[in-house]
Amino acid sequence: MELDLSSDQELLRDTAAKFIEATVPLTAVRALVDDPTGLPADYLRQAGELGWFALLVPEEHGGGSISGEGLRDAAIVAEERGRGLQPGPFVPMNAVAAALAASGSPQQQADVLPGLASGETVATWVLAGATGDWTPGAAVQAAADGDGFVLTGRATAVQDAGLAEWLLVTARSAEGLTQFLVPTATSGVSVAPRKSHDITQRFADVAFDGVRVDASALVGQPGGAADAVEQQLRIALVLNVTETVGAMDVLFEMTRQYAVDRVAFGRPIGSFQAVKHQLADMSLSLEAGKAIAAAATRAVQANDPAAGEIASMAKAWVGDTGIDIAQGCFQVFAGIGYTWEHDLHLFLRRITMNNLLFGQPDWHRERICTIHGL
Amino acid sequence: MTQTAATTDMPDVAEYRAQARAWLAENLERRVGPRQRYEIDHYTPEVMAANRALQRKLYEGGYAGITWPKEYGGQGLTGDHEAAFLEEAEPYVLPDFGVLTGTTFHVCVPTMIAHGSPELLRRFVPKVLAGEALVCQFFSEPSSGSDLAGAQTRAVRDGDHWVLNGQKIWSTYAHLADYGFCLARTNWDVPKHRGLTWFIVPCDAKGVTIRPILQINETAEFCEDFFDDVIVPDEDRVGEVNQGWSVTQTLLVFERGAGRPDAAPEHLSPGPLAPDLVALAERRGVTTDPVVRQKLARAHTNDFVHKVLTARIGELGRLGRLNAGIAAYGKLFSGTYNPIRARIGVEIGGPAAMTWDPDDKDGAATSLAYLNGRIMSIAGGTNEMQRNGIGERALGLPREPSFDTTKPFNEVLRNARNWSGQI
Repeated sequence: MELDLSSDQELLRDTAAKFIEATVPLTAVRALVDDPTGLPADYLRQAGELGWFALLVPEEHGGGSISGEGLRDAAIVAEERGRGLQPGPFVPMNAVAAALAASGSPQQQADVLPGLASGETVATWVLAGATGDWTPGAAVQAAADGDGFVLTGRATAVQDAGLAEWLLVTARSAEGLTQFLVPTATSGVSVAPRKSHDITQRFADVAFDGVRVDASALVGQPGGAADAVEQQLRIALVLNVTETVGAMDVLFEMTRQYAVDRVAFGRPIGSFQAVKHQLADMSLSLEAGKAIAAAATRAVQANDPAAGEIASMAKAWVGDTGIDIAQGCFQVFAGIGYTWEHDLHLFLRRITMNNLLFGQPDWHRERICTIHGL
Repeated sequence: MTQTAATTDMPDVAEYRAQARAWLAENLERRVGPRQRYEIDHYTPEVMAANRALQRKLYEGGYAGITWPKEYGGQGLTGDHEAAFLEEAEPYVLPDFGVLTGTTFHVCVPTMIAHGSPELLRRFVPKVLAGEALVCQFFSEPSSGSDLAGAQTRAVRDGDHWVLNGQKIWSTYAHLADYGFCLARTNWDVPKHRGLTWFIVPCDAKGVTIRPILQINETAEFCEDFFDDVIVPDEDRVGEVNQGWSVTQTLLVFERGAGRPDAAPEHLSPGPLAPDLVALAERRGVTTDPVVRQKLARAHTNDFVHKVLTARIGELGRLGRLNAGIAAYGKLFSGTYNPIRARIGVEIGGPAAMTWDPDDKDGAATSLAYLNGRIMSIAGGTNEMQRNGIGERALGLPREPSFDTTKPFNEVLRNARNWSGQI
């Protein structure tokens, strides 16, 4: 996405690409479609060894970035993951790790962060409400109860909740937005795996039926989580968008190559303006997508005053154009792209699902108006 | 025309910036309010003269043609020096010749510097930098717009000069320019790309007639230009005789926006939410309408995506990874999204914005924006030409079969009239 990488960042990218090719190439992604976890048993720990979950974690808790700008590094990994349609909770793990590093208690940081950073402990983020509302607090209500809290509600699209040992729960309460770090094994928490349109990723519904947690589960202050949640959302948006653009880039390149190779009416179909112009329009959207994804990464990394807005713009742009590009690529491949054995549908599924996660384009456009006080 | 940094005598950018800051404070006027883009009626003879004087001041101060070769009156510095100067100059009034700023300083003269003879450039470029030679584009003709290589303006050699006859059109601001950069046919008996030559033609030369054309927005920015036995000395030729197409390749990259100093991608900000559109929504009291809000945020997002895309293209240029195909992305973006934005203005403003009190001098703004929203999808190369450029140069897709590139141009013109679809 970014044009000018340092040699260390290039190494990070190349190492990620080699790991993906050796561990879960597209053939393996296919082979895992019926696997309940969707990934090889040792995958997350191996990815952890490459630093995938440590980039937003300070060194004293087992983390460390490559360039000193952890999110820019993480976006490089996200792009490679998108290119290879990688499974697993890369986006929520990093958002949770950043949240704990920023506002977790010393106890949480000591107990959970090193395991997260190494990939040996899995955590995910409970955000979207049961109806798919991404407004923070939509899923779970927290009520004070003595020296603890009771959590009630239902969340959807919780990525890899079936693998997660820990849940970061964003809840609304009388005091305002409040976050908790809760073991998935807590009494009253139930995880219901869902089948998914995107057969390369796993999602679950998570229900909280009067789950009692004590104050040590708090991440930050009761009612004081709004800024932290916003920061988690920005991180998730950047990683989601860069992943999607990586997937779009590979899908587009497959399609471009096909337009060069495929012959009809005595010449390569890419020579026909009807096809060429469609590809040109798609590549314009894609290049613009790379530009806005990189801009969002830089803005969130730098804590730019407009970072939240730029992240939403990136999500809206890439969400809309990703769907358009997937359809345009399908149009160029025609019938073969509708077969199970062709990889196009795997990309179509990932791009479509990523568009839904962390808010659809319309939701982000409304958010942009709100940010501007309109 | 970014020069590669020489190892010696290249001033440190920070020092250069400090010098520029001091010089600007001493010599230029501070700007009041944001920099504006004016319509043609702003550029009266007095305004043009004042801007020429300002350009001369920059030239004499050593701040004109920062990246252009020293030999031709430029400063021979790098794009980083130019960017530093422009950042420092941001609060000041700078020379503004409207569209001629771009055609002169960003398209025509950079192309001349790449292809012109040293003798011509030593004579001509300093006049440009001193504000005495504004250059318009004599490119399109009534019968060749997108098909630029199909030019039919005729140049015939006569001893040490050339005689030009023919007609150009869509030459923006030609009536305010001093020179036109003119593409002419010098050989009709070879394939069309091999019989073209470029010339610098004074707009006031004998036999040149320039007429502004009234446009749909009721202004007259572009012109039609007639050449009747116009004499051009051979030393005002740019590039080799009949090799004009290689000059054109350079020109098209500049015309797509390459080489212009852009904001570094780190410094981009979205700014306020589409202020013109929000004002329309406020006037109608529809700022809480969710459909209107979607449109506002969509226009604002597209505006910012355009900014970051332009900066990315600039960055590719700095990294030496730009070609005409990639440069076309910025142009195609404007050509695609300007009409959409203009339409959003009409949809939000509604009939109350598209009709106005005859006494309201700003009343036509939405109507004009709508009409002007059409410009970038055509001007300087249609969207379709940009898509060809992207498809063939950036994406490596094969060309369409062509019926006019191997036959003598004379024959092509005859055959086209009897076109049957059979080769």
